[in-house]
Amino acid sequence: MTVIATTQLPGVRRVEQIMGLPIVVDVRDDDEPGAAVEQLFDWLRWVDATFSTYKDDSEISRINRGELRREDAHPHVRYILERCEELRQETGGYFDMNTPAGSIDPSGLAKGWAVDRAAAILDEAGFHNYAVSAGGDMRVRGRAVPEVAWRIGIQHPLDTQQVAAVIETAAELAIATSGAYARGEHIVDPHTGRPPSGILSVTIVGRELATADAYATAAFAMGPELAPHWTARLEGYEAMTILADETVFKTRGFPDE
Amino acid sequence: MRKSIAILLTVAALALPIVDATAATRATTRKIVVTKRFAGSIASVDRWGSLQVTIVVRKTTTITGTKKKVTRRMTAVSVPTYPNHTDRSVFINQNALPTLKAEALRAQSANINLVSGATDTSYGFAQSLQAAILKAKRA
Repeated sequence: MTVIATTQLPGVRRVEQIMGLPIVVDVRDDDEPGAAVEQLFDWLRWVDATFSTYKDDSEISRINRGELRREDAHPHVRYILERCEELRQETGGYFDMNTPAGSIDPSGLAKGWAVDRAAAILDEAGFHNYAVSAGGDMRVRGRAVPEVAWRIGIQHPLDTQQVAAVIETAAELAIATSGAYARGEHIVDPHTGRPPSGILSVTIVGRELATADAYATAAFAMGPELAPHWTARLEGYEAMTILADETVFKTRGFPDE
Repeated sequence: MRKSIAILLTVAALALPIVDATAATRATTRKIVVTKRFAGSIASVDRWGSLQVTIVVRKTTTITGTKKKVTRRMTAVSVPTYPNHTDRSVFINQNALPTLKAEALRAQSANINLVSGATDTSYGFAQSLQAAILKAKRA
């Protein structure tokens, strides 16, 4: 446990519980991003109210009860449902918003997409140094302090006190990790309905969190045989896959130290 | 555990000015700056361990005549750092023949800002940070 070695940490840090996840917004620019951060959290609460399957009056719940036709849904909802279908095809069905009960749950994509647009809110407000994390899946940009880039640890899947890798970056980057250890997120192989065995976690790094998150979920569901090979073929996204025997596969451009 | 997590942690809330009339008579301005460190509760992360967040708060008391304004600003927040990891993980670069790299993770003692995949840790972080902020507000 270390206090960041500056007593003049600029910007603002704020944590809220939205979409069932702790949302950490950490802006390190000199200007106070008060209004932009308010706008950002308002946006995330709107996404939660619109996409949550836990809220009876969300558009997704209404679609699932047959009260709202997909074509009458909000344009953002229609976009996410279309993107889910694209990703289902691209991942060979391993990323699938269709539940075994016959309903849809696009929240796995909506969360990362919401964070991408949250980052855009900060961009548009003129901020260049920030991290936005939703339960450990995040967008980072710029530097933590002028001298130091963001340093992001990748959770060691067997030991919460350790990290399996460190990514240091000043670039705009999305980082998503799917694993068996994450609370409330029990990834199953849609083809078998069971959690995959022999794989501990998949981390995907790239430009968009929505896509990185979906790829990580899909690759994890693929299991230890397929995941390292499938992730090696992705364009614009790099991957680290940790298997149950602690073998670690990294794609050529995985940006850890 | 989920229900016990505080919903809102905001630095802005810390900075709300508290205006308090005092007995001072002349309209001179005086500033008193105090920097203090507050430790949050020790949050249980899971069966493997716990974490504790520490924040540094700068409290500025500005006294002008009979008016006293107090502002608090969080100037640092601790983040979880992780010990050297040298033991079990075996790294295989898929572009090369499988190779043992026992020293692959030499740099873990340095600061880490955030952890990817750490949903549980984030819960503990939020809980502990909230406790630290509440302590700072009372100080």
